[in-house]
Amino acid sequence: MKTTKTIFQDGSHKWVAIVRDPQKPHHLIDTNEYLVTHGGRGLLLDPGGAEIFPAVFSALATEFDPSALAGIFASHQDPDICSSLALWLEFNPQMHCYVSWLWSSFIPHFGGTVETFVQIPDPGLNIALEGLLLQAVPAHYLHSSGNFNLYDKTAKLLFSGDVGAALLPAGEEALFVEDFDRHIRHAEAFHRRWMGSNDAKRRWCERISQLEIDMLCPQHGAIYQGADVQRFINWFDELQVGIVGL
Amino acid sequence: MTHFLTMSEPPPQTGADLLRIVRINEEIKRVVGVSLKINIMALNAIFLAKRAGTAARGFAVLSNEFRNFSQDLRSSMAVLTGVVYGCVNEVSVMLQDLRFTRLLQEAGRQAPQAALAGILERREEKSAGHRENLAKLRGQLKRAFEEAFQMVELGGVLAKSAKIEAAYGQGFALPLAQVSGEFDQIVEEIRASLEALRRSAFFSGN
Ligand SMILES: [Fe+2]
Ligand SMILES: [Fe+2]
Repeated sequence: MKTTKTIFQDGSHKWVAIVRDPQKPHHLIDTNEYLVTHGGRGLLLDPGGAEIFPAVFSALATEFDPSALAGIFASHQDPDICSSLALWLEFNPQMHCYVSWLWSSFIPHFGGTVETFVQIPDPGLNIALEGLLLQAVPAHYLHSSGNFNLYDKTAKLLFSGDVGAALLPAGEEALFVEDFDRHIRHAEAFHRRWMGSNDAKRRWCERISQLEIDMLCPQHGAIYQGADVQRFINWFDELQVGIVGL
Repeated sequence: MTHFLTMSEPPPQTGADLLRIVRINEEIKRVVGVSLKINIMALNAIFLAKRAGTAARGFAVLSNEFRNFSQDLRSSMAVLTGVVYGCVNEVSVMLQDLRFTRLLQEAGRQAPQAALAGILERREEKSAGHRENLAKLRGQLKRAFEEAFQMVELGGVLAKSAKIEAAYGQGFALPLAQVSGEFDQIVEEIRASLEALRRSAFFSGN
C-alpha cells in the first residue's frame, strides 16, 4: 500500500500526497498522487495507472471517504496519469474528470461517458471545490502538447505534473528535496528527453515565477519547497530540452 | 535495433477463448476461400457438360447444384462470422471485466469499504450476464456448424452422383470423371475444416 502524507492543512482544506509503495512492481514507474480536500469534498490529481489503483485507493481511504470525491484532475493523457479512471468512476459514476480539450476524446478510451469530461481550454480554467478556487495553469508541451498544472493560491501549492519530475534511485526516495544539487541530477535526463519545447519551457518559467509558491509538487520524485522552488525554476529555465542523445 | 517477435505462453481461460475464436475465424475464412473455388469449378463443369451434350445432361444439373452448394456455404459462413464477431465482443468485455474486478477486489482487500462490496456484487451480476450471452453465442455457433456440416454431407452426395454421371459421358467420360474427382476432393477439404472446428476447445471449454 502507498502512504499518505498531509503536506498542507487549514481546517477542512488539505493537500494529501499519496506516495511510495514498497510493493509496487519495478516495471511500473513510481508516481505521486495528490488529494485536495475542501469542505468535505475532494479532487484527486493524476490518480495514476490502473495497476496501482488498489494501492492508491486504499491509501486514500485511510484519509478520506472515497465516495466524497467530486472529481479528478488529469494533467495530461499518459497511462500513468489516468488509466485508472474507469475504476474511480466505478466508485463514483457522477465524478467529473478535468482534462485538456486536446485529450477529451482520447482519455475516454480509459473509461467514462460524455458527461464525465470537463474540457480545459488552452488558457486554463478555474475549478471550484466547495468554495475553494483552484486554477488549471497551462503547461503545454511540458511534456504533453495539452498539459496543465494545478495551482492553489490559498495553500500556495502548485501541482506541476511531469515538470519537476525525478526518477529517484533506491535509497534516495525522501518525499521532499533535501539537497537540490544532488536531487536535480535525477531530474536532468528526464527533462531533457521528455520536455519537447524550449520556447514553451521559457513561457512556463515566466508564468510560474509570478505565482506565490511554497511547494512545487511533481507527479514523480520529490516535492520542492521553500527556496528550492525558485531554484528549480531557474535551473529549468537554463536547461536545453527536446534533446535525444543519439 | 531489431526486436524479435516470439510466441508467448498460452493465456489462461478467457484469453485462451479469444485465441480459439481467432482460430475458428481463420478456419471460416478457409472454408469461404474453398467455396469460392467450388463456384469456379462448378462453372467450368457446366461448360464442359454443355460441350458433352445430351450425354452429360445429368452432370450439368449436378454442376448447377454445386454452384448452389457453394453459395449456400458462403451464406452459412457469413452467419457464422456474425456470431464469431459477437463472441469476440463478449470475450473482450469479459477480459476487461476480469482485470478491473481483480483490481477492485485487491483494493477491497487492502481497504475494506462497504461501497466496494456493493460495486463488486453489481459487477458479478453483469459478468454473469456476459457469461450467459457467451454461452448462448457458443450454442448458436455450434448449431450453425452442425448445419454447415449437413450441407457438406449433401455436397459429398453431389460429388458421388457426379462420379456416376461422369461414367455416362461417352467421349467426355474421362474429363468429367476428373472434374467429379476434384469435386469430391474439395468437399473432403471442407469436411476436414468443419471437423476441426467441431473439435475446437472453444465448445468443450478445455
Ligand atoms: Fe507524462
Ligand atoms: Fe508522468
